[in-house]
Amino acid sequence: MYVWHFDAVFDNWEVFADGAQVTAELTLFAFAIAVVLGLLIALARLSRSAVLRGPATFYVEAFRSTPALVQLVWIYYALPILTGIRLSGFTSIALGLGLHTAAYFSEIFRGGILSIERGQVDAAKSVGMIYFQAMRRIILPQAVRRMIPPFMNETANLIKLTALGSILAVYELLHASDVLITSTYRPLEIYTATAIVFAMIIYPLIYMSRLLEKNWGARAR
Amino acid sequence: MSESMDLAKDVRTTQDKAGNEPMFRVRNLHKRFGPLEALKGVSLDVQPGEVMVVIGPSGSGKSTMLRCLNFLEEYDEGEVYFDGELVGYRILPNGRRVRERERRVAQMRAQMSMVFQHFHLWPHKTVLQNVMEGLVVVKKENSKRAAARSIELLRRVGLADKCDVHPSLLSGGQMQRAAIARALAMEPKAILFDEPTSSLDPELVGEVLDVMRSLARNGEPHRQATTMIVVTHEIGFAREVADRVVMMDGGVIIEEGPPDQVLRKPVHPRTQAFISAVLH
Repeated sequence: MYVWHFDAVFDNWEVFADGAQVTAELTLFAFAIAVVLGLLIALARLSRSAVLRGPATFYVEAFRSTPALVQLVWIYYALPILTGIRLSGFTSIALGLGLHTAAYFSEIFRGGILSIERGQVDAAKSVGMIYFQAMRRIILPQAVRRMIPPFMNETANLIKLTALGSILAVYELLHASDVLITSTYRPLEIYTATAIVFAMIIYPLIYMSRLLEKNWGARAR
Repeated sequence: MSESMDLAKDVRTTQDKAGNEPMFRVRNLHKRFGPLEALKGVSLDVQPGEVMVVIGPSGSGKSTMLRCLNFLEEYDEGEVYFDGELVGYRILPNGRRVRERERRVAQMRAQMSMVFQHFHLWPHKTVLQNVMEGLVVVKKENSKRAAARSIELLRRVGLADKCDVHPSLLSGGQMQRAAIARALAMEPKAILFDEPTSSLDPELVGEVLDVMRSLARNGEPHRQATTMIVVTHEIGFAREVADRVVMMDGGVIIEEGPPDQVLRKPVHPRTQAFISAVLH
C-alpha cells in the first residue's frame, strides 16, 4: 500500500500558484486570439465571396486535422528556420493554441449563426438594417446563447492544452510540477495535486456555463 | 429623415417627371432558383396610396415577386423601381449592372417595410423593443422618443398592454399585429404583406385583417395613405379593401383589374378555377 506524503505539495504551494498563473496567462492570450480570429473565420466562411470562404475553410480543416502538439513544435522549431521569426516558448504556445482553438471556435460560431432561422435576418433587413447591424443586434445575441455550451467545452479544452507548454519548457502548471518532482521525488502526490489545480481552474467555468444556460433558457423561451 | 430624403432624390431615375410617379414600377421581372424559374417576366405599376392584393396558387411566384420588390430576393432580369429609383442594382457608365451598395439597399428597404407569414419577431427582445429596434438602430432616434412612438403604435394595433412581454407569450394574431406595428414604426412609404394571415388559426385572422383594413382606409392624418401590396388568400379582404387585384400563376400575371372584375367576373379560366377553389 502506497503511503501518500502530501507535505511535498503543501511545502511548495507557491510553485503551483506560479504555475497556475502562467497557465492562466497562456489561456488568456490564446483565448483572445481564438475569439477574435474564430469570429472572423466564421464570418468569412459564411460570406458569399469565394475568395474569403476558400482560405477560411482551408484554415479550419488544416488546424483540425493536425495535432495541437505538432502545430506548437512547428511554430517553435520550424517557423524560425523558414522565416527568421524566433518566438519565445511562451509566445509560441499562446499563439499556437490561439490559432488552434480559433479553428474550433469558428465552427462553434458558424454553427450558432447558421442555427438562427433566415426569417430573423429578413426581418432585420426589412426595417433597413445592414448585415453588420443585423449580426450585432439580432443574430449574435440569439446565437451566443446556443453557442455557450460548446464554447465553454472548447475553452476547457484550451486550458488543458496549455499543459503542452511543458514540452517547450514554459513554466505552466505541468512543467512547474515536473521541475518540482525532480527535487522532491514525489511524482504521485505532485501530479495528483496538478490535476486538482487544473480542475479548480476549469470546474468554475463549467459551473458558470450551466448557470448562464439556465438563466437564459428561463428568459428566452 | 431629411438626409434620407435627399438621398432618395438622387438621380439614376428613368421615370418621366411629368406625370404621377408610381410607387413601384416593375418591368419584365425574372427570377430563377437553379433550374426553377419562379418569375417569368412580371410587369406592373403600383400607385402611391394604392392597395394592391396579389392572389394565386402556391408556387405561382407571388411571394418571390414581393421579396424581389425589397431585394430580399435578388432578381435576375428586369427592373424594379421604387419611388423612381432602381432597387438593388446600379448601372455603371459602361452600361453594366452591378449590385448596389449595401447601405443604399438598406435605406430603400427602410422605406418599404415588410410583414411576414411567420411574423419573424425577434424572440430575444420584448414587444416594445421589437417595434423600437428599427427606429433606434436604423433611424438613430433617441430611445425615449422611439419608445413613446412605439407605444402609440402598439396601442393602435391593440397591444398597449403587451409592451414588456416577450413575443413567445403572444398568440399568433398578437404576434402579427406586433409585427405590423414594427413595420409601421419606420413610417414607410409602402408596406409589403407576405401572406400575413396564412399561418394563423382561423379565429385569429379577423383581428389582423381589422388592423390592415384600418391602415388601408386611412393612413395617419398628416400623411398620405400607405401604399400596400398584400399577398393573401383572403378573398373577402381583397374584395373589400383592394383597389386592384392581381392574379399570378406560373410566374406571370395572368389577370388584373378592380376587385369587382377579377374576383366576381374573372376572365381567365385559371382565375375562375382558383377563386372558386378558395371560396369553395
